[in-house]
Amino acid sequence: MRKLLTIAFMLSLFIPGLSAQTLKITGTVKDEAGTPVVGAAIIVEGTSNGVLSDSKGVFSLNAKMGQNLVCSCMGFLNSTLKVDSDRADFTLKEDVQMLEQTIVVGYGGVKKGDLTGSVANVKMDKLAAIPNTNSAISNLEGRIAGVQIINSGQGPASDPKVIIRGFSSINGTQSPLVVVDGFPLGEGSDLKQINPADIVDLVVLKDASSTSIYGSRGANGVIMVTTKRAEKGTSHINFSQQTVVSQFNSKLNIWRDAALMAQLGNESRSNAGQNPLYVGKKDNGVYYPSVSEIESGTWPYYTKWDNIIMRVPVTSTTSLGISGASDRVIYNLSAVYYNDKGVYIKDNYQKFSVKLDVDYKYSENFSIRSSNIIYRDWRNVNNSMDVGRNPLWPVYDDNGDYYRASETDYGNPMALTDKVENKNSGFDAISFLQSTWKITDWLTWTGQLNYKYGATVTDKYNPKVYTEDGTFNNGHAYIGNWLGQTMIPETYLTYDHAFGKHRINAVGGYSYDYDMARSSELNSYDFVNESLQNENIGAGDPEKNVISNGYSESKLVSFYGKVNYSYDNRYLLTGTFRRDGSSKFGANNKWANFPSVAFAWKLHNEDFMKDVPEISEAKIRVSYGLSGNQGISPYQTLSQYGTETYYDDGSWKTAIGPGYIIGYYGSNSRFKYWGGIPNKDLKWETTSQFDLGLDFSMFEGRYGLTFDWYRKNTYDLLRESYLSLSSGYDKMWVNDGDVLNQGIEVTLNANFIRTKDMNFNATFIFSRNRNKVMSLGNATAAGLNTDPNTGMQYEFTGSALTYEPVGMVNILAVGQPMYVFYGYKTDGIIQSDAEGIAAGLTGDEAKAGEIKYVDINHDGVVDEKDRTVIGNPNPDFTASLNLSFSYKKFDASLFLNGVFGNDVLYQYGMTNAAAEPKRWTIDNPNNDYPSLRNNRQTKVSEWFVRDGSYVRIQEVNLGYNFGRLFDSIENIKLYMNISNLYTFTSFPGYDPEVGVDGIYWGGYPRFRKYSLGLNITF
Amino acid sequence: MKTKVLNSIFIALLTVGLASCNLEENPYGFYSDENFYQTVDDADAALMYAYNALTFLEYSRGIFYIGECASETVDLKSGEDANNPGSQALDEWQISDNANNQTLQLYFKYCYIAINRANAVIYNVENSTAIDSTDKRRLLGEAYFLRGYNYFNLVKVFGLVPIQKQMVQTIDQTSPNMATSMDEMYDFMIGDLKYAEANLTYTQKAGRANKAAAEGMLAKLYLTAASSKESGVAYYSDMTESVDTLYADAALYAKKVLDASQSGECPFGMSDSLKDIYDVTKPNGPEQVFIMSMDRTGQKEGNYSKIGMLFMPYNNGNNFYVKSGSSTWPSHYGYEVFPTTTAFYDSFADIDRRKTELMNTKMYNADGSVEATSAYPFTLKYTDPIQVTSSTGDKSSVKPYLLRFTDIALTYVEAKGYDDGEWLAKVRERAGLAPLGTMSKSDFRDAVVQERAWEFAFEGQRLYDLRRKAMVTKKDSKAAASGVTEAQAAFYPIPQREIDLNSNL
Repeated sequence: MRKLLTIAFMLSLFIPGLSAQTLKITGTVKDEAGTPVVGAAIIVEGTSNGVLSDSKGVFSLNAKMGQNLVCSCMGFLNSTLKVDSDRADFTLKEDVQMLEQTIVVGYGGVKKGDLTGSVANVKMDKLAAIPNTNSAISNLEGRIAGVQIINSGQGPASDPKVIIRGFSSINGTQSPLVVVDGFPLGEGSDLKQINPADIVDLVVLKDASSTSIYGSRGANGVIMVTTKRAEKGTSHINFSQQTVVSQFNSKLNIWRDAALMAQLGNESRSNAGQNPLYVGKKDNGVYYPSVSEIESGTWPYYTKWDNIIMRVPVTSTTSLGISGASDRVIYNLSAVYYNDKGVYIKDNYQKFSVKLDVDYKYSENFSIRSSNIIYRDWRNVNNSMDVGRNPLWPVYDDNGDYYRASETDYGNPMALTDKVENKNSGFDAISFLQSTWKITDWLTWTGQLNYKYGATVTDKYNPKVYTEDGTFNNGHAYIGNWLGQTMIPETYLTYDHAFGKHRINAVGGYSYDYDMARSSELNSYDFVNESLQNENIGAGDPEKNVISNGYSESKLVSFYGKVNYSYDNRYLLTGTFRRDGSSKFGANNKWANFPSVAFAWKLHNEDFMKDVPEISEAKIRVSYGLSGNQGISPYQTLSQYGTETYYDDGSWKTAIGPGYIIGYYGSNSRFKYWGGIPNKDLKWETTSQFDLGLDFSMFEGRYGLTFDWYRKNTYDLLRESYLSLSSGYDKMWVNDGDVLNQGIEVTLNANFIRTKDMNFNATFIFSRNRNKVMSLGNATAAGLNTDPNTGMQYEFTGSALTYEPVGMVNILAVGQPMYVFYGYKTDGIIQSDAEGIAAGLTGDEAKAGEIKYVDINHDGVVDEKDRTVIGNPNPDFTASLNLSFSYKKFDASLFLNGVFGNDVLYQYGMTNAAAEPKRWTIDNPNNDYPSLRNNRQTKVSEWFVRDGSYVRIQEVNLGYNFGRLFDSIENIKLYMNISNLYTFTSFPGYDPEVGVDGIYWGGYPRFRKYSLGLNITF
Repeated sequence: MKTKVLNSIFIALLTVGLASCNLEENPYGFYSDENFYQTVDDADAALMYAYNALTFLEYSRGIFYIGECASETVDLKSGEDANNPGSQALDEWQISDNANNQTLQLYFKYCYIAINRANAVIYNVENSTAIDSTDKRRLLGEAYFLRGYNYFNLVKVFGLVPIQKQMVQTIDQTSPNMATSMDEMYDFMIGDLKYAEANLTYTQKAGRANKAAAEGMLAKLYLTAASSKESGVAYYSDMTESVDTLYADAALYAKKVLDASQSGECPFGMSDSLKDIYDVTKPNGPEQVFIMSMDRTGQKEGNYSKIGMLFMPYNNGNNFYVKSGSSTWPSHYGYEVFPTTTAFYDSFADIDRRKTELMNTKMYNADGSVEATSAYPFTLKYTDPIQVTSSTGDKSSVKPYLLRFTDIALTYVEAKGYDDGEWLAKVRERAGLAPLGTMSKSDFRDAVVQERAWEFAFEGQRLYDLRRKAMVTKKDSKAAASGVTEAQAAFYPIPQREIDLNSNL
């Protein structure tokens, strides 16, 4: 509405003064902090006479004495002044709690105060000082209740894992749908193509009422990304630079004392009944110096591998944008260059993207908008190096060649860095065209055509000498090509009408989503001369070439509608409906319906609340609805044949027929699983979600509380089910299984100080989710195991660990949260052989110094029947606190983020440089660390389960706005930020922030990132 | 006006999708019901797929894990159970959990995988309009043979089993009914094999079925029924046909092959040299009626063979030479999974060439000097000298026989009850043994079964001979020690997963 007014007044600017008694009035518009307000509309009440404030907040217009001037601007309350002189200065108060802020939800915006669902947003400028990573979504960590973001990877091009309100799928995706400016880009967290500086707002849709409009893609929540558009009447050039330098927040845990390493290595082998290595003899062709040779310095080599292969990681983002808006045209052109030099040498990532948006208002009721992103990236992968490599090995041997301890030593990091090729580059184009036709005041037609194209090329070469693959194949060259396209034409009508106390906003439309991906892979082996690496893939032995290609295509047709009805601004009702038809679904289940309904009651607008002016908002929300997860890969509902060869009377013949190998199991993966039978009934996973929420704020919104309780039940989980053996098939995909997530989310906001010069704000966020597997389907058909002690049905999930411990860790178990750890209970360390035998252990495992596994079923032996649930990687709750403070041109903030009550499986916990010296020995009997024994097959046990709780000083940020230093420069902002300043945790490894399965993989310490940023606005 | 034009263009653009909202999926990059079985070449490839099922290690090794290991001829390496779960229970006749025995379950599954592949050929070729009648006869003949052959493997191991007669295309078809009697089982198998007999020729191709294979299998089927019924084996004792009729039918079909051999109508016959039978370079010797085709040039196990490694001694992972009579040739080392029992070795006559020429305890150097001694006498039936000389690693061309001519000959004389045509005498003569004297029909048949133990040693047959003569516990000391009854030893139980998931059981 205001926009229309604004437009009207802009037009009236050109109408000259009206009468003789008229005064020329000048004035300024400022906010409470004294900052000029640009683009505020000042109108003489009751007339069409008005102007807009300029870039300094100054305006002038003609009015008569005694007339009222009304000043209005988005985000501020209207202010009225009576004309009593030629001066009129407005100080605008911010609109209470930004109630009028429009939040982008599916297919249209809703005023924040009118939300009926559970929707939260973060303004990107609040996160601008956080070091950029590959995806802007990383920066949401800890910022929104109910959204768990795990940034476990720190290397270049790593993306976070995003979980909204718990896991609601096992085999389908667990990631939310990401929608950029109305374009559903896909499920995940990959937002690499979008320049963080272009993003205004990240909105997270959590409850069914807000996600059901995305139907079969909405079950994991939706992240709506809105990019910048210039404000009318402005034109800006923005330059920003952010440079991030990182260091480890703790020391690398690798061997620095080589003699001790050798001595303990010998001890470990001796305890295993093996010959010690470090005795100054050759073993398997490798000479191992004796401990005394090392101690005396006779052995000349000592390599600090971290100095050789690691460096100070530096990340730099440079962004330049030009934007402006006139009457008819709004444009934004921005370019960003991002360069991430990882901690390993030559582990690099660069990306460059350009975005051009143009809005053009063709006529009063017809406008078009176009947005285009061209994106390139380059990645050189050099991250599979072992910084813990034996420090006794030199980098180069005496001839200057890369040192190899033996013929089969494929681990020299310098050789891998220099000789192995592993790089990829990508090109993406994301584009949409939108046209809006305002048919009447209350009916608008919107059409949008979304298009995304992506292509990557991967180049690899494994040389003959330094890699196992290359040695085995005498050189292996590889080229991989991938390209994908998404096209989504979409059209909808928006009806927005108010009459009396009623207001109806309704949307109805349809979309068609076409996805295609194709790939090809070329492998060539056996090279005579490898100087070209993979540049001439034809130079390999043609008979050994391996080529393959793939293609997949899927279509999704959707019809959707939603109605927001509000009565007297007190009662709000929202209903949404989506009908999805997907090519991935089985022939018998092509179409799915996803309805939702929500109700909100704005108590604060009731008459009886008028007496309590302290309460600025009190709103109760209730919603219920269904959303889905497509989960299935294309072609799962078709029969699929296999291809083999058969030696028919002396020659190989191609053999084709029903059934193909879908997996392997057993010792050395010798047995095969057969699939390929179509399930014509296969369909989406359905999530029903109930949400009860409260929005409450006091004192003009200075103190606020948002509370949500939800119960999310996902059923028809996509699972593999066994078939009768006589079918000739092992498994097929079915919908069978049920998982429940329940939780609460609390967001508290307090604006303790709000004066012209000083502002102090605190936000506390608390989320707690309880995940529980309710059913894994038919136990027989699913092939579930039964826990012998509790009868709990479970299956292992994830992949087996191979070193320490050995075996599968995570299970899905009925009645338990997803991914709990399953293994042996422990009771310290065995102090005497007799104690070990008494505990039910046998052989080497019963000896003094071994882990004392507990015979929990008291049958006198420790065996697989003694396993039980020993840990839970899911946090009890997460919490964060953000404190932000500003004084005049300074601003500062402190952000603490914490995860509580999760368990981490501390892999390699016994055999690292810090742990080994603490081992059990006869002279140092202890109850914490077992003895060293090289041939120990360590079981998955409680010993490895550690508390992963932590509180991190995630961000400390200090900024200064110089303001208008020079005429041509509107503002300069300088900031510095320290990420991950300190982590409070009892976890003994580098960092407890690990993947959702809770397994710790070592790696290297967490980065403490120091960033320096500069934003200049011209 | 312009606005309207623009609007129309946009509306047209954006509604393109609506018109094309066809949600059918078309397979790309893989074969499927929708795009396969278009031509006779497709049908040939599908037939190859049906043969290919026999070669997977779960099936091909199962022949020995069950047919050999559960008999008195061999033991099992300790610890082998970790690789092939259930094999130890089979060796030791620990039957309590055999419904969940993985080795049995895999064998059961692969029989049905092979059956489904054969059913796919039958279903599609019978319904095809693109394939002419000559090709149809050939394709269907082989497909029906394979179906019958695989069902017979099931029957020998499990007794009555569910009969899947159609290609499984939907979930509704995954619960076939159990055969209600051995008559029903036999009618079905015999129908398949008779169809094969009628439509196939005596052409010999390594790895392919032929008319002699069909007739030979029919003979073996009838002999199994006859002797089983005679021995009072469950299910068989309820068969309608009399023992004598069944024996007569066995003789009838075996005789067809023997006659064709003698008339020169078919290329099959008894090999003069024992060693030649197992020469990997001669896959098309006269004994070869039906063989599992594997070759060292294959890419994965099943395409190439590791069968020999199950029998050969480990020798610390070093290849060695083997010696038979005066000839010496290189051999790959083995996993010694199936060490020969001393009792079985000792049961051979000292002069039996099947012992002196086809078994050895020594491992040799290239010059013929002894390198080492194996802990057990190992068979020389499964060596591939070229595997070692051409360094193909574990990949050998060792092809186990699925049916060889001598088997048909001995089936014939056993069915007759006397040495008609002196086939037994010929077999013994080849082994350097004198003919047997005259004896009663019953004693003669027992003697033939004993002769089979020596002749087909390590060829995956012994358990089924013991079962049909109801003498598992008599011959296999481990079976006796485990306390199983002859009735319990006659069949293994249908795997539990089948019982759980086949709604018609």
